Amino acid sequence: MREDDARAQSALEQALDEQVLTGRTSRRRFVGRSAGAALMATGLASVLSACGITGTATQNVEQLEEEAANVRHPKVPIGDWTFSNWPLYMDKAVLKDFDRRFGGKVKYVEDINDNNDFFGKVRQQLTQDQPIGRDIVVLTDPMASRWVRSGFVTPYDLRNVPNRDNLVATLQSISYDPKRQFTLPFQSGAIGIGYDIRATGRELTSMKEFFNPEFKGKCTMLSEPYDSASSVLIMQGKNPANATIDDMLGAVEFIAQAAGKGQFRRFTGNDYTTDLTKGNVELVMAYSGDMVQLQADNPNLRFAYPDEGAVLFTDNLMLPANVAHPYAAETMLNYLYEPDVAAKLCAYINYISPVSGIRQILEKSDPDIAENELIFPTDEIRERLKVYPSLSTIEEQQMYEAMAKVTGA
Amino acid sequence: MSLSRRRRMLPWWFALPGLLWLIVFFAIPILNQVSVSLMSGDPEKGYELTWTFSTYWDAIRDYHAQFTRSFGYAGAATLIDFVIAFPLAYFIAYKAGRFKGLWLLLVILPFFVSQVMRTASWQLILNDQGWLVARMQDVGVVSDDGRFLATGKAVIFGISYNFLPFMVLPIYATLDRIDRRLIEAASDLYCSRWTAFRKVTLPLAVPGIFAGSLLVFIPACGDYINSSILGSSNTTMIGNVIQSKFLNVLDYPTAAALSFILMGVILLGIAIYGRVLGTKNLTELAG
Repeated sequence: MREDDARAQSALEQALDEQVLTGRTSRRRFVGRSAGAALMATGLASVLSACGITGTATQNVEQLEEEAANVRHPKVPIGDWTFSNWPLYMDKAVLKDFDRRFGGKVKYVEDINDNNDFFGKVRQQLTQDQPIGRDIVVLTDPMASRWVRSGFVTPYDLRNVPNRDNLVATLQSISYDPKRQFTLPFQSGAIGIGYDIRATGRELTSMKEFFNPEFKGKCTMLSEPYDSASSVLIMQGKNPANATIDDMLGAVEFIAQAAGKGQFRRFTGNDYTTDLTKGNVELVMAYSGDMVQLQADNPNLRFAYPDEGAVLFTDNLMLPANVAHPYAAETMLNYLYEPDVAAKLCAYINYISPVSGIRQILEKSDPDIAENELIFPTDEIRERLKVYPSLSTIEEQQMYEAMAKVTGA
Repeated sequence: MSLSRRRRMLPWWFALPGLLWLIVFFAIPILNQVSVSLMSGDPEKGYELTWTFSTYWDAIRDYHAQFTRSFGYAGAATLIDFVIAFPLAYFIAYKAGRFKGLWLLLVILPFFVSQVMRTASWQLILNDQGWLVARMQDVGVVSDDGRFLATGKAVIFGISYNFLPFMVLPIYATLDRIDRRLIEAASDLYCSRWTAFRKVTLPLAVPGIFAGSLLVFIPACGDYINSSILGSSNTTMIGNVIQSKFLNVLDYPTAAALSFILMGVILLGIAIYGRVLGTKNLTELAG
């Protein structure tokens, strides 16, 4: 379900609050006399002070690199600190164990429901170089990339994360952060074909099924263009990792044409799960981790990595700029990369873990999970996984605008 | 300061907290957003105040369909709510007796759960294979192979459901305050019960109907939750566009301009509505 709607509202409220707060000091001035004139003055002053919205321009990469090279987060006692994450994305027992072992108290908040909504919520502080009151945030690749290139991050002191060596080779580096100085992987998942085999009567293995007239009005498409357009590009035999904005716009247009003919019942976020489980649709563009959880309740639900290949997305742990407790955050990262901890977490949340060697642990404790190729894709599948394109903020705007036209907004 | 002067100032002092509240939480944000709506730029370089009024025209040109849809859905929902709320409020005011409090509690009870949760529950209940949709097919509200979810009807239904209490409560409040002796007097003067209702009860309830319809219509115009949960890409309302502009497209000027256009059209509508159906005129008319 889309709590992101509620999020959007609170993001708007927060944006308003912040602008109000900046006007608050001037509020007292006019209380004394000639309230009318002062009212005008204050109103105008606040308008003028807000004359402009700071952009998220690309920062000087060299400066970021230099900052990263000299970063030092000395060991300090772990006090109270804050970890922001998505809902249902953590085994709370893991957090308790962390507090017990390392001291302090982690305040764990599940306040990220959507990358764009969350960015809307903290954008003002970030662009004004203010702390956002969180020590770790978890954001998906494209948004993580935007934060890195805009300088909204604090580099890691990797000396505090020696377990980083446990990461699988493919995630040791990523295009927007080649040395993983600012982002480290939390979990990954794939975007693929979710369906109810009772309804379809056959196995589905190709992305082309989403455009098959047989499923007209009986399938859903993801409204996030990074997900849907990248998947369409893979279907067309292109690698989204190298895609340009024109490629992406072409893919959005391809989706638009099918949408115009009524092919898709709805464009969804995570809420495709309701449509699939209630039988409103037969076929959904789905996230692998969701499907593992849905299958537990209904074995007729299937997830297929498309033959053409699939998008592999990674959610990244990041220290926001002006972070208050970097050592606590890095200690947590190091802890999450211990294979035993990673195995426990994986068994709980059922996403693809970035830590190597945990399959062997789970084979003993949870053989079902160790066998599940949605959680442990085979090498043959891994070869078909592709990552998102790298777009600039302006290009992203073009893409979102094109997609909004398709989804009616 | 003389005593008489101080006396004259007194009402202003009483108004001060409210005034401050309005300035801080309404006037300043509004002025600020007005300036945002006149900015131009892009999300990388930022936005600067350039007095770009064309944003407003472009917004109307590009999104008139969503505006029309929003007003249509909100109007339909207001009408549906009136049809449901008036008899309900009448029943609570005149027939519920000592259970009045309980009935009113039942009316506002849904508000104890978040709107998003309630709307999502309807998404579950109204599924294509569900009992309710099958009954709707029986009575022809939905065609035999049709669906209810992801249609405009579902969005109107969701809005009507979510805002119903806003219609019930003001109508109840006015009905409950009506002096019963007026109705007795009407029947003493040989009015039938229907005529007494038409000539006495209904005109006296007009302020409640007026307030209720505004309380439903105004937030319904800007609603985006119902459309995003119960609708499809063919049912998007202006609220969905504003959300998308603000959070995904990062086009803050257009988002702000759309908000002000919405606000302006609603204000204009209310002014006309107040003139035509204004409470004062109507009660005078009935008198």
